[in-house]
Formats: sequence, structure tokens, C-alpha cells
Amino acid sequence: MAGVRLEHIFKKYPGSETASVTDFNLDIKDKEFLVLVGPSGCGKSTTLRMIAGLEEISEGKLFIGERLVNDVAPKDRDIAMVFQSYALYPHMNVYQNMAFGLKLRKFKKADIDKRVRDAAKILDIEHLLDRKPKALSGGQRQRVALGRAIVREPQVFLMDEPLSNLDAKLRGQMRAEISKLTKRLETTTIYVTHDQIEAMTMGDRIVVMKDGFIQQTASPEELYNRPVNMFVAGFIGAPSMNFIKGTLSEQGGSIRFKTSGIDVALTEGRAQIVREKGLVGKEAIMGIRPEDFHDEPVFIEASPNSVVNAHVEVSENLGHEKYLYLNGLGSETVIARVDGRSTVTDGINVKLAIDMNKVHMFDITTELNVFES
Amino acid sequence: MSTAQWKEQLEQILNSPLRVLRIDLQEWNNASLESGALTPLEPSPGANVEVTGGRIWYAVRMERAHVEVIELELEHVSITERRLLAWTIEHMKPVKPAAPQAAQEAERQAEELGAWLAMQLESGNLHEQVPESLTFGGRLYADMIPFLLVSEHERLRNTYAELEKLLNSFFIEEVMLIPLKEQEWLILGPMSLLSDAETEDRNDGEEESTLELLASMCSGLHGMLASEWVGECHLAVGQPIGPAKMIVETTSLLRETVFLGRKFHVGENVHLPWMLHLERLLNSIPDSRRAEYMEQLLNRSDVLLEPEILMTLETFFRLDCNVSETAKKLYIHRNTLLYRLDKLKQETGLDVRLFRDAVLVKIILLLYKVTKRK
Repeated sequence: MAGVRLEHIFKKYPGSETASVTDFNLDIKDKEFLVLVGPSGCGKSTTLRMIAGLEEISEGKLFIGERLVNDVAPKDRDIAMVFQSYALYPHMNVYQNMAFGLKLRKFKKADIDKRVRDAAKILDIEHLLDRKPKALSGGQRQRVALGRAIVREPQVFLMDEPLSNLDAKLRGQMRAEISKLTKRLETTTIYVTHDQIEAMTMGDRIVVMKDGFIQQTASPEELYNRPVNMFVAGFIGAPSMNFIKGTLSEQGGSIRFKTSGIDVALTEGRAQIVREKGLVGKEAIMGIRPEDFHDEPVFIEASPNSVVNAHVEVSENLGHEKYLYLNGLGSETVIARVDGRSTVTDGINVKLAIDMNKVHMFDITTELNVFES
Repeated sequence: MSTAQWKEQLEQILNSPLRVLRIDLQEWNNASLESGALTPLEPSPGANVEVTGGRIWYAVRMERAHVEVIELELEHVSITERRLLAWTIEHMKPVKPAAPQAAQEAERQAEELGAWLAMQLESGNLHEQVPESLTFGGRLYADMIPFLLVSEHERLRNTYAELEKLLNSFFIEEVMLIPLKEQEWLILGPMSLLSDAETEDRNDGEEESTLELLASMCSGLHGMLASEWVGECHLAVGQPIGPAKMIVETTSLLRETVFLGRKFHVGENVHLPWMLHLERLLNSIPDSRRAEYMEQLLNRSDVLLEPEILMTLETFFRLDCNVSETAKKLYIHRNTLLYRLDKLKQETGLDVRLFRDAVLVKIILLLYKVTKRK
């Protein structure tokens, strides 16, 4: 088993003005489940392909374990790939598909048989070994693709959006299975997705990418609670964080954030940061997650300095929770998430308290999180 | 079985570590004299010599002035085990060397055919038939499935034998591999791939068309080559042909297919000729006319070229203009997608939800890719 280390990795295609991946530095620990996440075109798949050896590295060094592998062919890197684009071999049955890589490496028949059957048992596909891929469902094919990788017993698994062709329900099931599987096998796994829910539920650590650059590398909890910039803050979490433009001002010894419909006081600790960074009197963007709005009377009474009034344009009742689409707070629609038992409905005005311990403040120019930089 | 594998197994059986060494013949002779022999022991398989330091050497094979030996610690093996090991090595079947002559002859013939093919392609003789002497004893008269493989890797060296072996393993039957340019090969695969699948289809009651079968075979082959060979490559597949008559024309078509696929669909590696008709048509338009059209069409607005809109449109077209599926694929709300399409309509006058406008935008996007990459 081994970790993976990327040092100052760049990828630039000939004729292209900009790099697809810029100065990528990352140390992935042995047995870690690391997720690369970001919107389409952010460079996450390109990075994974460089690790796999399917793309040349323009600059920088890549280590698998302690071995420099920049010029090592994919088949010699001791990795196993589960790529969305790599089809099963249609003319071979499931057993043959899983055995093929071992056969090429001249494993003994008995060893091949043992590895294939052990993997099939783990994946619950023992009853499918005689079938051809055409006769399998999407979820079964995905399991066979995983099986092909598992039998190799590689140092690293590389997975590129393996679940994107599955329906939502199956995706949820397979997510859990992959997580359990990789923990059980104790193999380093690098997983690419542009689904932030997949990233948050599966990763030990997550790398958020945008336009070829790493935005933040952190645990799911840290990304959610302490995003370093507006992009990360808006990308992670569903529904997305609300961003409201306003002005920070000093009033009666406290720092207040003001805009149309909002006049709230920051906590003392955060107020101090605002003063230190010279942001008093300046515009800024406040970020509030939907769940940090509260309509419970007890919360409202306890938070006199952070109460707002808004108009509920639409409310969506999901049973256990409600989403309120609010007007009157800044210039854009704001989404609040309240308990399903709340009596708030469409078309009414509602009083809400903002949990000021949870709000974020972003510099209007740099978009960096003032409280995390 | 590889050396690493039998060594590991032997160690497990004997419950003792061993080393495989390659020593000079002189070293072996000295050791056998030091052990008390009057004359050096011949290093035939199974012959063994006790060496200073409590070790024993077993000769496995001799190659010119060197001897391959297995070295064990004496204290870890009993006398019975030592005798058994000597007997086993003595009676080991010799590894048959690959028939180098036959393999080299096949490669030579393939190179000759490749050279002839390249010459016909260069001269534009697309309907030329393969001369009898190059038909591999008549093999080219049988129908086969043609694949064109193009690799971009410069580190390919002496790859013919390796690639042929890999393909034979993959297809389970023998294939023909014909080198064209330095990183380009024509692969002729067995028809049994299609006929087996069709038999199963009849049994299952579900039919997969020939083109679908070819596409999935090509995808599978590409995936295998990417992970088990030197890495990424481009692959095109054609419909079954009688190579003796159609090899030149088909190779030309597949070359064009890879060319068009790389030009119009960057990022894709599997290219199917029957999916590139529009691209073929647009590619035939002279450069100057193409540039003219682009200028006229893009006069409406540059919004079509914004990365977010490009991604949205490509996904929308790929999913047959289905709004719900496109929104799901892009991980955006349906309303967000509709907003983007409305914005596009406002700025360009083109509503891609209407067939006529969708066709025009599709053509614009393809032309843009070609003119951008000049």
C-alpha cells in the first residue's frame, strides 16, 4: 500500500494559452480516500489521468509510494482504474473480465480463480460470473468494473466519476458500497466527482478545484464550516450558501452588517477581525447557509441583534424540513431552511433570527473569507 | 510462471528464504572443489554444492559462462528436503523458447503488407487489391473486423511482439497486426466477435445491432489498451470487410475517422465513422469559406463561445435536447438551464429548443472547433 505525492504539477496542452492544471501540490496518505471535486472543466479528471499515466505531466513530479513515476507506463504503476469511460470487455463473461489483467501478468490459474472469487464474494456478484456484460444492469456492471480493479490488489485505486451513469437511488447505494469496500481493502483511493454530495459523504479529505487551481484541501467538515473563499462556500452545501452584499459599519461599539432588510451585529470576536482587517466602512459579502436562519421564537428572543423580517415568496415542504424562498433581504432571493413543523407558508411575512456564530464574510474584491484568511 | 512466483511458492513450501543468483562458472567450480570434490561438479540442473557460511547452491541452468543457482541456508532445510529439491530441479521441464523464427517471419510479412498499404494510401489507390504474396497464405480473403490504433506515446520501442501478444490475449483468437506509421497500426479482428454476440442475442431475445456491437467492442479494446499497454490511444473501428479487396479503402476511412474525431471531439478516444457524417461534411468546406461563415454567424454574439454556454449546449445536444436530463447531468436546477437557454435566445436570436435553430447552433459549434484549432 502506498501514498501518492504530487509536487508542483502542471498540465499544459500544446497550443493552449492557459494551463489546464496549475501548480498542483498534494500529499495523499496511505489508505486515504481522497476526493477531487469541482465543476466541469476544472482539471480534476486531467489530474487523475496524470496520476494514472494517461496524460503526460508537463511539469512537476509524481510519486507513488517513494517511486517517481512520471515516465512509468500505466500498467507498471501498480494502480487500478475504474473510469466511467472504460467499458467492460463485451465478448468476455464477468469472470474473464475480472481475470484478464491477472492473466496478462502470468498469475497461476489457481491464484486467479481465488482472487476473482474472493472479489466476487465481496461485491455480491458470484452468481453473475458466467454472464456477459450485456446481460447485466448498470449497478452490476459497475460492480464488475470494481471487481476488475480489486483483483489487482493495487497500491492505489483511481476512480473517475464511476457512478455518473447510474440513477440517483443506485448512486446512493453504490456510494456506500464503495466507501465500505475501500475501507475494508485499506487501499489508497483517489476519486473524482463533480457531485458535492458524493464528495462530502465519501471523502476523508476533499480537494475543491476551479479552473485548474486548488481552491481548498480539507476534511468535509472543515470545507463546510470554514470555506476559504466564496467559490468553495457556494460549491459545497445544498441548497447553496446565500451571498448578500452589504456594508460593515461601526455603531455603538459593535460592528454591524447592513443592507436592504438587514441590520445585524457581528459577534465580538468577528467584529475584532473586521476592525483588524480595515474593513469598517467597506462593502463586503455576507454568507449565510440556509440552515442558519431560525424561525423558532426561543431563538428569536435570544438573538435581538440578528433578527430580520422577510417576505416568503415560495415555501417548499419536504416533510422533515421546509425551504423558504425569501424576498427583502438584500437584492437577491435568499433561501432559508426551517423545521418541517414550522407554520410558515407562502405569501406571508416572517421574522427570522440569523445565527451570527455561523455567518461568513467575504472580501468583495478577493472573495476570500475574511474570518479564515 | 514467473521467477518471482515460483521462488515465492518454493519459500512457502520449504518455510525458508532462498535467493536466486547468477554466478560465474568459475565461482561454481571453486565452490565444488572447496567442498571436497576432486574435479569441479558439472552444473547440470539439480547439481548441488555446499558453500562456506552454511549455505548450499543448487544449479538451475547454465548459460555460457554463468550459472543460475538457488541459494539456501543449510540449517533451514532437512536432508530429505535437499534431496527432494535436487530431484525436482533435475526433472523440471525446460522452458521452451518461443519460436523466434516463426514470430519474426510473421512480423516481417506484416511489415511488408504495412509498407505496401502505406504506399497505396499515399498514391490514392484506394481500390487496389492486396497482391497474392501478401495475403498471409490467403488469410486476408476471410472477413475481418478492422480497427485503427493510433498512439501518441513516444516511448514505444520494439512494441510489435508485445502488442500482438496483448491483442491475441484480449481477442482470445489470433488477430492480424499490421504496422503502418511509427505509432499507427491496423488490427484485423476475428468475425467470431460478432457472430458469438448475435447467437447470444437470439437466445436472449434482445438484439443489438452490428454497429452497437462494434462500438462496445471498440470501447472495451480502448479501455484495455489504456490500462494494460503504454496508456492513452485513439481507436476507430469499421464494419467487417474482406481485407484482400477493401483494406486500402477501409484504412483510409479509419484514418479520416481518427482525424475528424480528434479535431471535432477533443477528449474522446473512441471514434466511429458512422457518427461523424456531419463532421466529414464540414471538414470538406474550404478553410476560407469556413472562416467566412464563422464571421457571419458569430456576428450575432460571442455568447455562444462562453465556456459555461458551450458546456451547456454540448450536453444539451448530447442528451437529444432533453431539458430535464441536461439539468441533471450538469447538476443545475431545471430553471437555471432554462434561464441559460433563454439568455442565449435573447442575445443571438437562436432558440435551441427549436429544431432549425438547434441544427444551426450545432454547426456553429463544430465550425468553431475547427477554425479555433488552426
